[in-house]
Amino acid sequence: MTETDLKPMIRSAKGKRPGFYDTPALDQMMSMIMVLAGEVSVLADQIDLIQRAAGATGLDLAGAMRDFVFDQAALEEREARRQAMLDRLFYLMRKEAAEAEASETSEVYTQVLDEIARG
Amino acid sequence: MLNTFQQAETAVLPKATLEEKARQEFAKSLKQFIQQGILPGLGPVYRTRAAKRFEKEAGREPVDRHDIRKAMVPDAYFQHYAAVNRISQELLWDGVIDSIDREGADLLARAKQASAANKGELRIDPAFQVPKYVSALDIHCMPGGYAGRDGESDLRLGALYDRGVFLYAMGYTGPDNDDMGRSVCDYILARLGGFRPKRILDMGCTVGHSTLPYKELFPEAEVWGIDVGGPQIAYAHARAGAMGLDVNFAQMNAEKTDFPDGHFDLVVSHILLHETSGKAMPRVFAECHRVLAPGGYMIHADLPPFDLMDPFTQFILDNETYYNNEPFWGAMRDLDQVKLARDAGFPADTIRFDTAPMAVMKFAAAEAAGYSQDAADSVADRDFVAGEFAPGGGWEVLIAHKPLDA
Repeated sequence: MTETDLKPMIRSAKGKRPGFYDTPALDQMMSMIMVLAGEVSVLADQIDLIQRAAGATGLDLAGAMRDFVFDQAALEEREARRQAMLDRLFYLMRKEAAEAEASETSEVYTQVLDEIARG
Repeated sequence: MLNTFQQAETAVLPKATLEEKARQEFAKSLKQFIQQGILPGLGPVYRTRAAKRFEKEAGREPVDRHDIRKAMVPDAYFQHYAAVNRISQELLWDGVIDSIDREGADLLARAKQASAANKGELRIDPAFQVPKYVSALDIHCMPGGYAGRDGESDLRLGALYDRGVFLYAMGYTGPDNDDMGRSVCDYILARLGGFRPKRILDMGCTVGHSTLPYKELFPEAEVWGIDVGGPQIAYAHARAGAMGLDVNFAQMNAEKTDFPDGHFDLVVSHILLHETSGKAMPRVFAECHRVLAPGGYMIHADLPPFDLMDPFTQFILDNETYYNNEPFWGAMRDLDQVKLARDAGFPADTIRFDTAPMAVMKFAAAEAAGYSQDAADSVADRDFVAGEFAPGGGWEVLIAHKPLDA
């Protein structure tokens, strides 16, 4: 192989992957959860490094963060961000509640399909 | 124990960005957690509910590792253990591939330069036939496999192995991944009555992790590492060069090498045997006998046979067979290795199993990054626990001697 025609590395190992759960979707869910846990760990490592790297240059970020006093605007921004995050996390429950509110059911959906098909 | 073990950098090791490094560290931490935080629960889960359920359904107690497997597979605790274990394996390779793909040609250029610094020979055989036991599945779920696809000699698969195996072993085998070779070297120096090999062959050497300590401890010796994986051999040659050692590497099959009769006085392997097959293993032993000179030693460091363990321990270890692309792992442990050595021509009274104490203490003494004395002590002092990487305290070695009058 020359250096100019480098192909991307193979990402899938040869060999049938075993399933571990009764529902195959759970295997995929668990892998996603682990990947997400990994990303959280990556972020925590980065924040830790920011503090340490700043500390090494004489900037005590860790201390400044510990002593920081949030004003009202900052408190509100942070809480709004947390609520928005939870809203995204629970978007399917939001959808379910909205469907209940609008009395949307599978039957109604199928009925719409039929009506549109007929014109 | 907090595992802070760090791999030593070389010119050929893939370089990771901060994020890639953090993902790789996470995969290692996850494996450590599984070993320390989840694995210990399997015993109680088995005893208090899985075994009972099996008895109720089968009308008898579970007797062997196959029964225990049937009892455990439906249990949610075991399912999480096995699923997360597999996922950690997939994540660790993927995290290293990110670095290799991003580095691209830079890594190849560094490897080329390092390889040029190794005065030892490099033999890659373009017509080499990779045996089925290596090509059929990607061993350890390493994407691309040790030997690559269709005889490609892309040494990036060696780079993937170098970093990936350090994470897989969670650093237990030292900053240079060489604890097995180092431990066997120490064993030779301490236990084989002044034996000083002049020509050494390391079979199934992959990237030469365990090969290099032999050159370091026996600097006058001619050292050869062979492997069926062309990418591994090419990378091994470069890695040795990067570490300032002149070691020969060749793409060869341990079942039938190109070396003349009696060429070596020491033939070793490290975790090779369980990657071969029922037909290959006797041939490997026979080949060891053929290439050994009279007075020489054969030493295989692998894991002990199943008959030395209780069924639950066997079951835990056998998970590798089913979940980590290790087709021969279980079957190999059922073989009578002493008989194989005898059949290959080694006299019965020269064949024995022994333990080579781990060299991990030395990494702490040498102040290798992340290798604290506390951590080294706890690795060296622990008891054997099935499912943990590296058995407590030492490596199992099978030793046989070819008499001087052979």
